[in-house]
Amino acid sequence: MEETTYLLLAFLTYIVVMLSGFFSFFSQRKIFIRAYHLLSFLGLGFHSFSLIIRTFNSGHAPFTNMYESINFLAWACVLAVIIFERIFKLEKIGPYLWLLIVALMALISSPALPKNVTPLVPALQSYWLWLHVSVTLLGEAFLALAFVSSLFYLSASSRHKADPQNEKKKQKYDLIAYQAVAVGFPLFTLGALIFGMIWANKAWGRYWGWDPKEVWSLITWLFYAVYLHTRLVLGWSGKKSALIAIIGFLAALFTFFGVNYLLRGLHSYA
Amino acid sequence: MSGWVRLLSSLRLAIILLFLIILLSIIGTIIPQGEALSFYQEHFPATSRLIAFLGLDHLYRSPVFLSLVFLFLLNLLLCSFHQFLGKISRLRSWTKLSGDSSEEENEIKIKLKPSEDHQTRAEAIIIALKKKKYHLKTRTENERKIILARKGYPGLFGPEIVHLGLIIIIIGGLLSALFTYRTSLALLEGESITVPEKNFSLQLNKFLTEYYPDGSVKSWKSLISVIEDHQPSAKAAVEVNRPFKYKGLNIYQISYGQDWDRTAVELEIKTEDMPMRKIILAAGQTTKINSDLRIRVSNFVPDFQVDSSGQIISRSAEANNPAALVEIQSDNQTIFSGWVFYFYPDFTRFQRKTRPGVTVFLKSFTAPVFSVLEISSDPGSNLVWAGSIFMMLGLIGSFYFKYRELRIIIDSSGRVSLRPYARQNRLGLINEIKKLEEDLNLSKFQPGS
Ligand code: HEM
Repeated sequence: MEETTYLLLAFLTYIVVMLSGFFSFFSQRKIFIRAYHLLSFLGLGFHSFSLIIRTFNSGHAPFTNMYESINFLAWACVLAVIIFERIFKLEKIGPYLWLLIVALMALISSPALPKNVTPLVPALQSYWLWLHVSVTLLGEAFLALAFVSSLFYLSASSRHKADPQNEKKKQKYDLIAYQAVAVGFPLFTLGALIFGMIWANKAWGRYWGWDPKEVWSLITWLFYAVYLHTRLVLGWSGKKSALIAIIGFLAALFTFFGVNYLLRGLHSYA
Repeated sequence: MSGWVRLLSSLRLAIILLFLIILLSIIGTIIPQGEALSFYQEHFPATSRLIAFLGLDHLYRSPVFLSLVFLFLLNLLLCSFHQFLGKISRLRSWTKLSGDSSEEENEIKIKLKPSEDHQTRAEAIIIALKKKKYHLKTRTENERKIILARKGYPGLFGPEIVHLGLIIIIIGGLLSALFTYRTSLALLEGESITVPEKNFSLQLNKFLTEYYPDGSVKSWKSLISVIEDHQPSAKAAVEVNRPFKYKGLNIYQISYGQDWDRTAVELEIKTEDMPMRKIILAAGQTTKINSDLRIRVSNFVPDFQVDSSGQIISRSAEANNPAALVEIQSDNQTIFSGWVFYFYPDFTRFQRKTRPGVTVFLKSFTAPVFSVLEISSDPGSNLVWAGSIFMMLGLIGSFYFKYRELRIIIDSSGRVSLRPYARQNRLGLINEIKKLEEDLNLSKFQPGS
């Protein structure tokens, strides 16, 4: 079978996962929870197959243009969600994360993104492409998880105030956000900043050139540094923390999309 | 600590500085950097004077930005040093609770069952802690038995290692900014040029462009020789992403092009009383075809275009629409003058043809290829790599090694008090203690005193 067939199967599976997640809110029947957990692995399997086939066909890493990068980001999000679901039990957050994944899959299915395999321009022919982009996107997947969890925190704290049940939930959202940043931040540091510097040094002869994409990665990183310190040292948590995690992720999104379309720079092919 | 030092090492200052650095960085991505003054006057008429005054046109090297970075570096240094000393004294002390008063609140007092003797109790605790991979030290003083249990040291010093890494990176960055050597050379095939300020020269032996089957570029490659004391001392192939190292310098493939001013064109010429002739001549050159006719190629452009003022220009340096300006004279009289096009042989522009039957075709053209190599050395880069390694190790330490510390004091009346400390994830430590209690079957613990 072909890359696109597997991708479609993954897409459909993710939709079923998301729906069974939402149904399990209303129904006590075990089947939804079962489907939710088992099918997520199946979807990841299809998706991985599709990426592997594309890699073999193109002969290069599956993240060299916008379509491929979003596709890989979606895959990384699935991985992050599955891992966090196992360790922390995401409960209410889970299906909404799948909604995000389904949205990403819908985005890559749109005809606006050219999907054809193109040969690598010389600047991208490096194994640092693999290391730099895959680690960065994996890190961003965990930051996305922190983002969604923080949104949940804010929405929970705007509703029914002093309900102990609600308080407990809020604490959990806050903790999940922090744990996700604790995974995402080191990955982002390694992938985006360190591997980015090493590759830039190889390709352009300087490790840092204040190119807009570089600066925006740094800005994203600094936001998360603020997040960590205000929590740990100033004892912030809850609302203020959630806000910083949200802004941090918006900065990451801008680095990913905005810089290419709105600012000019060397990274225009990525 | 004096007030100033306290302020300079405070985290509040750090947060403020971080926000300011973020703000300036954003401004630097909105205002294009490194343009001429006129550019800002045109695009930012209202603020161009402010931009010039604050140096926002080269923001990341401006005094404002650099002083923020410097202040941040100082802040980070002082803060980390202070933290580090605190942690060392924590490791050295037996009983000391840190200055952190919250720790006292964390103290947990456990009552032993009256029947138990405290020696056995202490041994049971020690065995249980060892099972949990704690490192133990014990000591008896004033009839009190103190058990000091710790684990996860990388988690204790993780932040200091991250900060140290960052300090090294910033210092490396400053060194790079001050001492980087960088120059670029454009070399024609066969040409050799001395590298400025260095005692060797580079010679380009061949420049290759390799293509994929679909015609897009696969690689640009310069085959070069290093020449020192008139002797070739090294040979290398320099490619994009594959720089060549020579005596502490890195040589990169940066760009390439064709020197169109030195194009050689091949023309086919026919007149009424002369059969078709092929000639090759360089742009700017004049030759005689026969005793009567003289031909000159006075100009060549690779990408012919007429701009708005009627001037002929080349739109790009690519051979998208090559054209040669050809003049033919007979007895000092111009009988043909016009642009001939490679892709449009039947079309000739600005013709002056005084003698009918003259035709000129541009059959081929070759321009010498040059390759642009960049030669650089950067004394800060190794520090940056070293700092990066520290930073990653520290991050792994900070997030994946949980430092935990338990001070267990058993006094002569058999009362046990527990003083737990965790750098972060205090909740996890409390849970661990609860488990410990269950395992040891201790009576219910009461937080606080
Ligand atoms: C972008 C710059 C910085 C980065 C990436 C960074 C990174 C970190 C990390 C990863 C941690 C551990 C966080 C955790 O365990 O949750 C940490 C802790 C800490 N950082 Fe930073 N840091 C930065 C700047 C600063 C500055 C400027 C200061 C002080 C002025 C500072 C003070 C501290 C303190 C006091 C801790 C807590 C140490 C402890 O728990 O023992 N940091 N930092």
